[in-house]
Amino acid sequence: MFFDLDFALKSFPEVLGGVPMTLLVTATSILLGFALGFLIYSLQARKRRWLTALCRLYVSVVRGTPLLVQLYIVYFAVPPLLHTLSQRYGLPLKVADIPPLAYALTAFTINTSAYMSELIRSALSSVEAGQMEAAQSVGMSAWQSYRLIILPQAFVEAIPNIGNMFLGLIKGTSLVYTVKLVEVMARAKVLAAYGLRYIEVYLVASLIYWGLSICFEILFKKLEQVLRVGSRKLKAI
Amino acid sequence: MTKAENGTDSTVMVTLRGIHKSFADNHVLKGVSLSVNQGEVLVIMGASGSGKTTLLRCINYLERPNEGEITVGGFTVRGGRAPKRDILVLRRKTAMVFQHYNLFANKTALENVLLGQTVARKTPKEQARELSLRLLERVGLADKINAYPSELSGGQQQRVGIARALALNPDVVLFDEPTSALDPELVGEVLDTIKSIAAEGITMIVVTHEMSFAREVASRVLFMDEGAVIEEGEPQEIFTRPREERTKKFLRRISADWDYNI
Repeated sequence: MFFDLDFALKSFPEVLGGVPMTLLVTATSILLGFALGFLIYSLQARKRRWLTALCRLYVSVVRGTPLLVQLYIVYFAVPPLLHTLSQRYGLPLKVADIPPLAYALTAFTINTSAYMSELIRSALSSVEAGQMEAAQSVGMSAWQSYRLIILPQAFVEAIPNIGNMFLGLIKGTSLVYTVKLVEVMARAKVLAAYGLRYIEVYLVASLIYWGLSICFEILFKKLEQVLRVGSRKLKAI
Repeated sequence: MTKAENGTDSTVMVTLRGIHKSFADNHVLKGVSLSVNQGEVLVIMGASGSGKTTLLRCINYLERPNEGEITVGGFTVRGGRAPKRDILVLRRKTAMVFQHYNLFANKTALENVLLGQTVARKTPKEQARELSLRLLERVGLADKINAYPSELSGGQQQRVGIARALALNPDVVLFDEPTSALDPELVGEVLDTIKSIAAEGITMIVVTHEMSFAREVASRVLFMDEGAVIEEGEPQEIFTRPREERTKKFLRRISADWDYNI
């Protein structure tokens, strides 16, 4: 039999059990990546030449290398480095105890932050300059202007792009099985090897990724609708 | 520290002294000085590129003057490197109505009028709300308080902009070509609103091309060309007997435009 439906159905709940880990890695990297990305953006906006150059280099390197390579570098290069450091300075650090999740999150956060800093820049520049001028003209401080006027508008503009990034990351997390993290893809691989039924299990994994993507696509659409208050149409004239 | 020449020190609201402004190599303002008394409506006219909008934007430091001194309601800020705190104080003594309205796009009409009071001036919410509602009614938008800017026509947006400026109870309201982005049929409603608040004795500086408005409302008209004031006087005087050749030329040109519009 080319396709064993029974095996596929039986493996479904098992693979589905990897979803929490997949979402944990995705959501955490988006949040931490946003914070780091914002930091990079604000350093870049300071207009110190060397700082700007440094940030540009960071963004360029991170965006220009594969995520898998970044994951490997963090996973294989950081432990010996930490080990050496902790020995030299006598830090009470047990490198072997660092969970794989920490490496995965580090790599994904770095990767996301580079894209985020660009996303934040374009979202902020999409808000008309007149909005800032108006805020200043009524006597708001810079912080008040950003908090009340600029950031809410920029965030709405950024939602579709954040959504894209989120969907990309959900699928990108399928790489973390390479650093011994057990999520959807890792579970699928184990099951497939165990039952020698590859097509079935990978099909199940694909459906799960697809399902997740659809859910979050809808979620981000809704979020945008709710937050985009300014362009609400009049119900009755 | 105002000029004592006419003995009306206490009523001088705005004084500019020797304002210079350059954008890179472009010397836009070449030492402009002027003063506006309380309750006066000063209209600034001039060809585009004459520096009139830049001058207006220097008054609330949306443009940083390179040199000179700005005094509004007794508070003085110098050009060059003014401390942020001083700029904030200056801005809280002024209000601006923009050419492209610049209403806060994510806020309703009411919130637009309210925010400057509650956030920047720390007026109690209830008091601010009351004043906002009164002002929106005053500009004829009592039924639009919950509308977002995108749901309003240009004329309505600009009237919200005027209410937003008045809500701050500023020492001077700066109007930057308030009708030039409007469809012709909407210009009237905005000009009428400005006229009626001028009649209340609010100090205003208005950059505009609307000659008939200037003739009717201005206490004084000031002509600028190439970054300097070339002529100033009462509207009747200046429109009927301009002394400077450049003023005459400008007036002829905008009168011609006027004819074409009809």
